[in-house]
Amino acid sequence: MQLQPFVALSTYFATPVHSLAHLNAVDIAVIAIYFGVVIFIGFYLKGSANTSEEFFMAGREMTAWIAGLSFVSANLGSLELMGWAGSAYQYGILATHWYWIGAIPAMLFLGIIMMPFYYISKVNSVPGYLHLRYGDGARALSAVSFAFMTVLMSGINMYSMALVMKVVLGWNLNFSIWVSSITVALYVGLGGLRSAIYNEVLQFLLIWLGALLVPILGLIDAGGWTNLKAQIGARLGSEYVHMWSTTGHFSQNPMGIHWTGLVFGLALVISCGYWTTDFLVVQRVLAAKNLRSAKMAPIIGAAFKMAVPFIVILPGLIALVVLPYHLVGETQAVATGQHSYNEVLPLMLVRYCGPGLLGLGVTALIAGFMSGMAGNVSAFSTVWTYDIYGAFLNKKATDQHYVAMGRWCTFIGVLISVGTAYLVQHAASIMDYVQGLFSFFIAPLFGTVILGMLWKRTTKAGGFWGLLAGTCTAIGLFLWVHFDPSALRYVALSPDAKTLAEDMYRALWSWLVCVIVTVTVSYATKPKPLSELEGLVYGVVPLPVEQDDHWYQKPIVWAGTIAVLFVILNIIFW
Amino acid sequence: MREEISIWFFGGVLFLIYGVIICLEGLWELSHPLVNPPVLNHLHAPIWWGAMMGVAGLTYTVKFWPKKSRH
Repeated sequence: MQLQPFVALSTYFATPVHSLAHLNAVDIAVIAIYFGVVIFIGFYLKGSANTSEEFFMAGREMTAWIAGLSFVSANLGSLELMGWAGSAYQYGILATHWYWIGAIPAMLFLGIIMMPFYYISKVNSVPGYLHLRYGDGARALSAVSFAFMTVLMSGINMYSMALVMKVVLGWNLNFSIWVSSITVALYVGLGGLRSAIYNEVLQFLLIWLGALLVPILGLIDAGGWTNLKAQIGARLGSEYVHMWSTTGHFSQNPMGIHWTGLVFGLALVISCGYWTTDFLVVQRVLAAKNLRSAKMAPIIGAAFKMAVPFIVILPGLIALVVLPYHLVGETQAVATGQHSYNEVLPLMLVRYCGPGLLGLGVTALIAGFMSGMAGNVSAFSTVWTYDIYGAFLNKKATDQHYVAMGRWCTFIGVLISVGTAYLVQHAASIMDYVQGLFSFFIAPLFGTVILGMLWKRTTKAGGFWGLLAGTCTAIGLFLWVHFDPSALRYVALSPDAKTLAEDMYRALWSWLVCVIVTVTVSYATKPKPLSELEGLVYGVVPLPVEQDDHWYQKPIVWAGTIAVLFVILNIIFW
Repeated sequence: MREEISIWFFGGVLFLIYGVIICLEGLWELSHPLVNPPVLNHLHAPIWWGAMMGVAGLTYTVKFWPKKSRH
């Protein structure tokens, strides 16, 4: 089936040399329709983004479902899709930990415990909460580190997607980067957070639609789950298909991790830090229309997050058995011309999807990239405008001025991300790099926020010095191991630990340092009067009571259901 | 007065268009077999996957068809 008007575009998209697959006119049509729809949404919503509340917070009108899907979609960037599929190929089912224990408890904790404080304080951002609780010092430190991390992440996401599109489809690297970036800049710049959220919901549906066929057909190809497990076990060892039973020692599993690192480093610190304090995801929930929706949104997100391994981890596992060649690390792939781990998802798409479905699968990958980038850019724009520009540089501007600044920031954020994408071209391992970044800023920030919310005695000086000490500890530990690899035995508790395990322990130590310094300095300084802590700290004023008609409408009931399901899944794949 | 378009309507329309395109492509392949077919091509995934998408898309398009509301 050919659609002639798209043929010329098709030849521009793909160069036949060195590409693994060739998109035909139907595929190009599928991709083009997607771009048309997302840009249309941006223009359609332009009229709904006139005030700062509308542009940055989507008017706080989102339902629990829309906020929840957007919450999980903003996280589902191209790194999340392709990087973790590659990790599943490299490390086996252990990669699922980053979707289950590394996400679900933290998302439920955000919904049930933390959301009331974020929501009733009516802050516009996480640094905004720090401003109310700790003053300008902690806000500035958090806002600057977040802005830096956000554009860096956005650039890394962009580069990883463009690289895979180049290797698998033969697309020009610059073409992929610029076309996707301009589209994101256009729809976020025009429609603000509402446009980003609407598109994220659409992108979430597309990601599922485009990627779901791969595990379905892959399981048929591999002879079912039992057969797949048996084949992986026979070829590589049973440690590739067990999540917990091999984590008793660092050397017993391919990831070089220990269960203490998973539970305390990943679940308690990195995951809680990311899902409860990273404004990229929290911003989506703050846009909810009422407290109940704000509490339900992360719970709905958790349910979908728990299902994501089916379209990300499972294809990586199936590839171990069905692909006729072996994938290698990024550095080796560049040197030898082989395919890298990060390309496993597109390679599986090419294996099972013909014309039309291949276009849909590629659209899913592009949608993943765009949702991640839009999340980063809209959060960057908000934090810059509210917490850096509006807080320190121009405090008395009009609302219209801040909206204009937000629009400009969106375009500038995209441009910086594009620059970052070109800068990170030489990063050896994309995913490891990102995990390292998380532990620098997110882990100590979680210590600061959680102490501020749960402990009345925490002081302004305690919050600032704790955050600074924790961040410096994370960077210091990273540099220590970087210049003296033997220090790994101290930082990660074992010389057998690998990079991901090191990240978990580094996060744990930096969080502990943050908590200890915050508590110590708080006891040595004068606390805020209780009247200034209303709506910010647990136990100061009673939280609003929810008026649910039935017991099954209560967020706690749904959180409990998800928690039980989470435990059952971990036991099944133990 | 302003037309309010739900996000679910956008999703429905997109699914419907994709479903029709992919299903038609699958049907076309029945009479014009691919030179380099993908693995498991005999399952004709584009036909049933496209049809399912089309039905889901049509359902959402009809259910969330824009209605006029007063502001």
